[in-house]
Amino acid sequence: MKPLFRIKSGGAASWVIRLLVTAALFALALWIPTRGSNPTIGYCLDAFVLMTAAMSLNLLLGFTGQISIGHSAFFGIGAYATAIGVSRYHYSPFVTMPIAFAIAFVLGVIVSLPALRIKGIYLALVTLALGLVFPQFLKWPKVVGFTKGPKGIDAAGFNFGRKNRTYSIFGWKPFGDMRGDGSLPLYFWIGLGMVVITYLVCRGVVKSRVGRSIVAIRDNETAAAVMGVNLPVTKAIVFGLSAGLCALPGCLSTIRTNNVLPDSGYILVIGSIVFLVVMVIGGAGSLWGPIVGSVVYTFVRVKTGEWSGHAERIPGIIRPMFDWSKSPVGDGIFAVLLIVLMFVAPFGFVGLAKRWTARVVAVTPRPAGTGTLLAASSATAEV
Amino acid sequence: MELFLQRLFDGLSDGSIYALLALGLVIIYRGTGHLNFAQGEMALFCTYLAYQFGEWGLSIGLALLLAMACGFVLGAVTEVTLVRPIAKRSPFAVFIVTIGLFQGLNWLDGAIWGNQVLPNSAVSKQQQFPSLFPNKATDFVDIFGAGVKVQSIGTFVLVLALTGLLFLLFNFTKLGLAMRAVASNAESAKLIGIKTNRVLMVSWGLAAAIGALGGVVFAGSNQTVSMGMMFSVFIYASAAATLGGFDSPGGAVIGGLSLGVIQNMVAGYADEWVGQQMKIGAALIVIVGVLLIKPSGLFGTSKVERV
Repeated sequence: MKPLFRIKSGGAASWVIRLLVTAALFALALWIPTRGSNPTIGYCLDAFVLMTAAMSLNLLLGFTGQISIGHSAFFGIGAYATAIGVSRYHYSPFVTMPIAFAIAFVLGVIVSLPALRIKGIYLALVTLALGLVFPQFLKWPKVVGFTKGPKGIDAAGFNFGRKNRTYSIFGWKPFGDMRGDGSLPLYFWIGLGMVVITYLVCRGVVKSRVGRSIVAIRDNETAAAVMGVNLPVTKAIVFGLSAGLCALPGCLSTIRTNNVLPDSGYILVIGSIVFLVVMVIGGAGSLWGPIVGSVVYTFVRVKTGEWSGHAERIPGIIRPMFDWSKSPVGDGIFAVLLIVLMFVAPFGFVGLAKRWTARVVAVTPRPAGTGTLLAASSATAEV
Repeated sequence: MELFLQRLFDGLSDGSIYALLALGLVIIYRGTGHLNFAQGEMALFCTYLAYQFGEWGLSIGLALLLAMACGFVLGAVTEVTLVRPIAKRSPFAVFIVTIGLFQGLNWLDGAIWGNQVLPNSAVSKQQQFPSLFPNKATDFVDIFGAGVKVQSIGTFVLVLALTGLLFLLFNFTKLGLAMRAVASNAESAKLIGIKTNRVLMVSWGLAAAIGALGGVVFAGSNQTVSMGMMFSVFIYASAAATLGGFDSPGGAVIGGLSLGVIQNMVAGYADEWVGQQMKIGAALIVIVGVLLIKPSGLFGTSKVERV
């Protein structure tokens, strides 16, 4: 079947589409904190946390092909670095975030050292060991002075105090109500900033020389080495970057909930699996995949959360499938979704969307190298 | 000396359970080269089935056999319907499918039996999950002064017997020969007329059935079954399989037993420094160390890659 439209990458039509999408996202970003209800903003924060974590995992797994089931540990490092920094040293979260990034980066580089020798499922299990040991390590008597052991750290929320003002133009508050300690719009903007920065970092890496090397490593490690990719250095950088980025959502979740516990949330190994599921649902190896995946994941979680205990609320056709269940149906839906997606759309929702739009709109890629050639020829013409 | 023996036997008893699950992992990996992330949850589902059979009045021996049969069917059906169609595409996709299965089976357990520790007096007729071996407070055997539970010895002997049976299966039966042929080179095996599909189906079934045995024995020693029970066991089992080498059944057993022993020895002798929290950490650090020296595990064969 021939596609209905043809547009050129980098042409006018593609820029219009890009501008429209960007404008829509901007409008959404302004609408949620100003007009959205508090629960809505809360769900957005949940989605931001997952987005960043899944994007960091995507860099390592989707693009470089190194399986990690230990990202919950990096998430935990972020959470604990912020909790300790804020509660003990009264640092601002804006200071603890870079610190957490640096600590996680170093740990990521250390984990990449065995990855030079260990491959495939053996590497998956080494990272799994990291994810498993981390919560236990937090409860280890030698470090309990810092981590407060199984009790976790309370009062880790930073008092932004008078520093945060609410900006208003003729009574309209473009950023939402940022006053007060637990101001959700403030966290929303911190979270959104984190997501945007992470996206830009991932995009920058993937579209650069390093990006081409890591995809080569994923597709054929030996061939990549033969082509001149420096395996140890590239792997170490990607591991470190991925780990560092994964620490950021940990920071956000700590300043939002005001406390951390070693045995809760995404710090446990199960957190790594959630990140993995989110990434795969959205589309592994695509920049937008984790973003779409975490929106879908959060949406389904919220919906199924409303259903728990109220079987009559389950809509239509899926009610007979789930109304007999004694436990929340969210996990069941994700399990089915995950398996079905692997059969019909191995590259997740983003891959599916790409396949469908390709039937309607064909994007002609820019011929490689023409940009510089044209520039060179016009320059000579002027001379 | 008694203390040492005590710790040794405790370790062997813990390790036996890991070894049982690790055997299942290895059998699947040898056949298809996949890590079955749902191995523990398949075992847990079968353990719940065994509990249900017990509720219906069957004795534990019969319930175990039925649960293992169900496990065999579950594993075989999984291979045919979920793994085989997708295995051609990429090993990563299979890994994700087993993660989906892991979540789905865990959810199914909760959906059918509820998120609670079973048996409990509110819903079940049984007082406790029946054990295959005598498991009363008085059932101890004295070995060189160390009191060892009959349960522990029974589990250990069971693992040894099973390993022996698998050895016989692999080395002296036609099916075992076919399984080894598929493990060493699937395409050539197909060319000489081995029905590889059937062999893989049987491998998955066998692995799930062995897992079911492990689950029932573990539940018997805990006297309960609950939803989160098998996840940690699965992780230790995969660590054990890693230590022994993912393609060596003997390695899995030795890996499992030594993991249990290391764990208990470290917690026993270095309690001051390591403590209960980090005992698994110590064991895993040992394994990572081993992997650094031998990336394919102690008894695994290292793969030679062609470009």
